[in-house]
Amino acid sequence: MPADAETDTGDVVSSSSGGPGGDGPPVADRDSVDDDGYVIGSGRSGIVRRIDHDDFDPVGTLVLIAIYMAIVGVMWVFMYFVEFLGGDLTVIG
Amino acid sequence: MATFVDRFPEEAKVVQASFAVAFIALGIGALFGVVQALHRTDFLRIIDSVDYYTLLTAHGVLLALVFTIFFLVGLFTWAVARSFDRPLPDIRLTWAWFGLMTTGATLAAVAILAGLFPEIPMSADVLYTFYAPLQAHPIFYIGLAMFIIGTWMAGADWFLAYREWRGENPDDRIPLQAFMVLTTMIMWFVSTIGVAVSVVFFLIPWSLGLIETVNPLLTRTLFWYFGHPVVYFWLMPAYLLWYTVLPKLAGGRLFSDPLARVVFVLFVLLSTPVGIHHQYLDPGIAEGFKFIAMTNTMFLLLPSLLTAFTVVASVEHGARQRGGEGYLRWLGALPWRDPAFTGMALAGLMFAAGGFSGMINAGMNINYLIHNTLWVPGHFHMTVGTAVALTMMAGTYWLLPQLTGKTVYSRPIGLLQVVLWFVGMVFMSNAMHRGGLLGIPRRTAEPQYQNFDFATAVGSVGEIQAQIALGGVLLFLSVVIFLFNVAATWAQDRVDTPVDDRIPEPLSSSSGAPLVLDNLALWTAIAVVLVVLAYTLPLASIVTDGGLLGNSPAFPVSISVQPVVDAALSTLESAAPGVPIDVHSTDAAVDRLTEVIR
Repeated sequence: MPADAETDTGDVVSSSSGGPGGDGPPVADRDSVDDDGYVIGSGRSGIVRRIDHDDFDPVGTLVLIAIYMAIVGVMWVFMYFVEFLGGDLTVIG
Repeated sequence: MATFVDRFPEEAKVVQASFAVAFIALGIGALFGVVQALHRTDFLRIIDSVDYYTLLTAHGVLLALVFTIFFLVGLFTWAVARSFDRPLPDIRLTWAWFGLMTTGATLAAVAILAGLFPEIPMSADVLYTFYAPLQAHPIFYIGLAMFIIGTWMAGADWFLAYREWRGENPDDRIPLQAFMVLTTMIMWFVSTIGVAVSVVFFLIPWSLGLIETVNPLLTRTLFWYFGHPVVYFWLMPAYLLWYTVLPKLAGGRLFSDPLARVVFVLFVLLSTPVGIHHQYLDPGIAEGFKFIAMTNTMFLLLPSLLTAFTVVASVEHGARQRGGEGYLRWLGALPWRDPAFTGMALAGLMFAAGGFSGMINAGMNINYLIHNTLWVPGHFHMTVGTAVALTMMAGTYWLLPQLTGKTVYSRPIGLLQVVLWFVGMVFMSNAMHRGGLLGIPRRTAEPQYQNFDFATAVGSVGEIQAQIALGGVLLFLSVVIFLFNVAATWAQDRVDTPVDDRIPEPLSSSSGAPLVLDNLALWTAIAVVLVVLAYTLPLASIVTDGGLLGNSPAFPVSISVQPVVDAALSTLESAAPGVPIDVHSTDAAVDRLTEVIR
């Protein structure tokens, strides 16, 4: 498919093969543009392991979203005090 | 390594030109922004309070329409050419819409800025929402109409590219970026009908004097028919970057292509039949219609929450591939020194906060607390002002090298710039939200009243004002630094590898997405049905109540005091015949009244 001409599977990478806890196959540095990984857009040059679909468990995302939901929940409850207990009802009839 | 400018040199020129217009608008709009922030907080007043509204209009139009939409058309042109991997069908058509949009935007800007010069008989101090009966010079409306038609032509250009691609690839899935562009444009075609009808059939004839009056509620409702989907028109380019570019910047891959498609389809369906939620306090629209709009609006949280999950999971994938561990420690493994990544990540974080204040706006009863207060600009400076604008600026650091073949002038300066924007917005936006809760109004040059103090539970009004002023200054500085970095990048020499521009395949690819997701005609049809259901009865009711053309003359109208005084005199005479009335004192009263009105 032409659309994929410029895409790859993301399995690019790293100067330090098999990094900490590498549970994917170690990958070789193919055409990294910056070994420090800080040229704009070259985050992949810091990749130390490859994680495929079935190996990926986004538990960190779950934690972040749980924190967000907790904040929203607390603010929602707080709003009850602001609107209903902090003054007169604003919707009548 | 060939990048975009090498493969599509003609398209790259159009994208560069679009970005150039966007950034000029950003610079001017930001300057007016800081002038307003300092004026209304009373720290520095270099303009007359009357001119505040001219600057406010220019700030809104230049940033919310010109900056965002010119960036959008540039980004979408890049995305279409890149993801179809073919040039646009006819570059003359591409330049034609760019020319029309630029001319329209320039006319609108000239009409607004002419308001600063009393000797020029032209003004458009109607604010970004151009509500009737506030009336602008016809050039303002005509410029806006040309601008909108230009965006329609741009959409047609991209659909023609799609048709050509489809002819050669009858069985392939639409590439994800192109899918995002096409669905966004379907939403835009459906939603701009409202503003087009309002401007072409009512506001232009009215400003030209062809019709005497308009029905303000009708034009307001038509504006908001367009006015809410336009926020998604700003947001979708940011989403496109978050879904397809941010995971790559993080060193990962998009978590799910099908989920991304679902989100964009949901925006096609739900963006438009919600506009009445901006009119919760408008008399003349029944509560029931407002309730329907609220329900639809709450459904819109769904695609945004799906996005929160998908984008964060994709970024986490990058962090894990970069060696990140633990529940939260993985955040430290992300490439925080990359301004493109950091800017987009901070923009996403700010959007999460904006989502909460948006829920407050969307709730019919809670909205009453903050309607028309400073809370509302606080909200949209988090959403369009940061989620969108900061993502666009951050994206520029990654896109501009592809469009020019030149490396970004300074990465550390870029990093400073995006962080400065975030910090500035934290100051300004939190203070605006809190000020809004106190009841401090929006859209006013002098939000202070005699013999009245806003009661604060925490902090003080002075502290809130100081935060707004400080935030405004930091944001302006951030824009100056951004424009410097961009200009310096443009001035660099070309290099072989200006940027790492490859985008990896999603973890869960498009082959797993149900085919029906690519059925654009079906989603368009459902979107139209939902719009008809949501808007037919309210519009019919508004027209029945106030008439198609209404009875409201233009504002500001010239008010003559003389008839009032004459009436008062005759009343006095009839009440006390024979008592001489001091003509001099009435003259003085007339003078005083005229002064007050002036």
